Amino acid sequence: MAAVSDAAVQAPRRPWLGGFLAGEGRAWIFVGKTMLAMYLGAWLAMWLQLEQPATTMITVSIVMHPHSGMVLAKSFYRALGTLAGSLVGLALMGLFPQQRELFLPSLSLWVALCAGGAMRYRNFMAYGFVLAGYTAAIVALPAVGDPYGVFDSAVMRVSEVLLGIAVSALVSEVVLPERLRPILRQSARAHFTGFLAFVRGSTAGSIPREAMQDAQLASVRAAVRLEDLRASVIFEDPEVRLRSRRMRLLNQRYMAAATSFQSLHHLINRMQRGGRAAVAAALIALYRPLAAALTPPAGQAGDGLDALVPQLDACARALPGRAAELRAGLAGDGERMEFDTGAALLARFVGELADFVATEQALRTGAAVRGGVERVHFSRSTDMANAGLAVLRTFLTMLALSAFWLASGWAFGASAMLLATIFSGLMAASPNPVGSVLHTLAGYALGMLGAAVTVFGLLPGSDGFPMLVAGTLPLLLIGPYLSTRDGLPGVGAGYTLGFVYILALKNPMVYDPEHVFNDAIAQLGGLALSGAAFMLLPGLAGTGWQRRRQLRQLRRLVWLAGTAPLAGLLWRFESRSRDLLLQAVTHTRPGSAESRTLLAWSLAVQESGRALIELRQDLAAGGLAPAARAAGEAAVQAVAALYRWPDAARWRAADRAVDTAIALAPPRPRNHLYQLRSALRDDESPLVAALRAAPPVESADAA
Amino acid sequence: MPLEIAFHGMLMPGLLPVFVGCLVLMVLLDLAFGRLGLYRRVWHASLFRLALFVCLFGAAGLLLVR
Repeated sequence: MAAVSDAAVQAPRRPWLGGFLAGEGRAWIFVGKTMLAMYLGAWLAMWLQLEQPATTMITVSIVMHPHSGMVLAKSFYRALGTLAGSLVGLALMGLFPQQRELFLPSLSLWVALCAGGAMRYRNFMAYGFVLAGYTAAIVALPAVGDPYGVFDSAVMRVSEVLLGIAVSALVSEVVLPERLRPILRQSARAHFTGFLAFVRGSTAGSIPREAMQDAQLASVRAAVRLEDLRASVIFEDPEVRLRSRRMRLLNQRYMAAATSFQSLHHLINRMQRGGRAAVAAALIALYRPLAAALTPPAGQAGDGLDALVPQLDACARALPGRAAELRAGLAGDGERMEFDTGAALLARFVGELADFVATEQALRTGAAVRGGVERVHFSRSTDMANAGLAVLRTFLTMLALSAFWLASGWAFGASAMLLATIFSGLMAASPNPVGSVLHTLAGYALGMLGAAVTVFGLLPGSDGFPMLVAGTLPLLLIGPYLSTRDGLPGVGAGYTLGFVYILALKNPMVYDPEHVFNDAIAQLGGLALSGAAFMLLPGLAGTGWQRRRQLRQLRRLVWLAGTAPLAGLLWRFESRSRDLLLQAVTHTRPGSAESRTLLAWSLAVQESGRALIELRQDLAAGGLAPAARAAGEAAVQAVAALYRWPDAARWRAADRAVDTAIALAPPRPRNHLYQLRSALRDDESPLVAALRAAPPVESADAA
Repeated sequence: MPLEIAFHGMLMPGLLPVFVGCLVLMVLLDLAFGRLGLYRRVWHASLFRLALFVCLFGAAGLLLVR
């Protein structure tokens, strides 16, 4: 009986325990690696007789991350930032050796510009900018009282920082490395099979707009995430670096195929709603064989990728014949023209899908990519207003601190400024900066407390490096451990930084309680002031104003598609529209009205923008009568202008211009023009809804 | 090879250019080995890369700075 109840109690506990132990194992491996890197850095710094081993330890604590690819990416940009920052620190000191009133504002300006740069470039490049500001400050600030020492100070700080970078990169690469590459491969594959399954499942007919928007969000998220991961993994793995261009190409081909897919479905949906059920049915019939082409043959190893490419190619070859058959069954020129538009779109989609699958296959097997590898870039879209606000905020914070420092003759003003420098840059990109600063502040205070206990309770009387490690380790390892807990963001990093700053490891060690507490107060003051600056000048993230700006930027992409030079425009348009959408959507609640509006707009923008680019390519290919060409170009301009400044008059002008161009154009551009007209008249599109909401009578007439 | 070299009046260790040269060589070797797929055949790729770099730098340093 007892045995039975024992087993009943034991059985459900095991999976929970296993998961817990696996998570804890990973956390402790990270803690162990961080500690190893920190003490190795400190020991080397002492052995090399650098002035402040503490700087090395701080660098390690900032750079360490559970994934080694992240550490290497961070380290690379941090090294660049450090070199740039130290040069600027030296230059500023050389320009204003005697005039603090000029030196401090120009240093503040540099730090502020770096914070702005960090907002402009997200990802790890942002990090390089923060560190460029920070290094200028750590090089120049301690030397304010002694301008002649600034060069030695710069050499020392740069050596310490670079040593910290080298040690943390080495430890995270060599000791039990946790790689990002499997995560990249896994998410890329999940994303690939997910997209194919979605396409396969949709061949039955129409997809409701809601499902389309959810799919859009998921695919955009995946595209941007893959790009982010790729940017880190190239630092970790020389093989991935070789394939990096190909992975970019894969992502771009995927985006192109996804846009064509959505456009096709919008077209079919519109036909069904507009009483053209026969055309829609014919298109769906044309589309159906794709499901079979996307199904790998049974009994093949893996996911049968090898068979998919020839199947898709065969499907693409069979398309024109089937289209002619189905077209014959339709009555009337109007219906046939609509069918031609859909069939052309479908042919484009199948071609892009085949390219996409072939690229994935080439990536897995290492074979050559068909069609040649084109140099493509994932172009990002950034809001300069946000970066400008970060510059202003950081500049004012630093200016306030330096004014206080100069006016009061505060001996520890430099410490306060240093901390404010780090955190105004690092926190600006966080979604909730005030909360993050508060968390970090709490961790920082705790860390300083732990360090004070260590310095005055445990370290005096200890002798030699092993005793130093034994004395500092127990309280120091709390920091990295806390940073592995997802529930407490920022606390662990704050704890480690605070601990290491107050520990201020030197060789030989100095014990000066007065200095420690003065320094602690100054640092907390600097950190708190940067938090206060975020309260006074909050970031734009998530405000209605920024959302309206982002929406305008999104619409402007259609203008870009209609006016920018054609070379590389397709890739730029596709990646930028996705990057922008993801930035805007992150700050809205999923499923809320705002997020729906954004998604609807992004679908409309992608469809019209892509059609404009294709149309412009047709026009540029030549062979058109001058009148048709002029009418086509006028239509492109009219639609681009409509998306840039949407109003009823422009809508009517665009509609008329597209109609004129359709009447004159030969078949190929006509399909794209027709698709544009159908998108313009789409009564579910946010464009039409927005026009209807603004001037009610006019646009209803026009539609 | 001198132990220290003067660069615009700053003294730098003579090993610094050797180190930078070895880094460049290492990047080239990385490219070549990555293309050949050699890293898939070694047990601990990053340890191998580190050891390779140490060998390169050690050999170059010992040969040049005597």
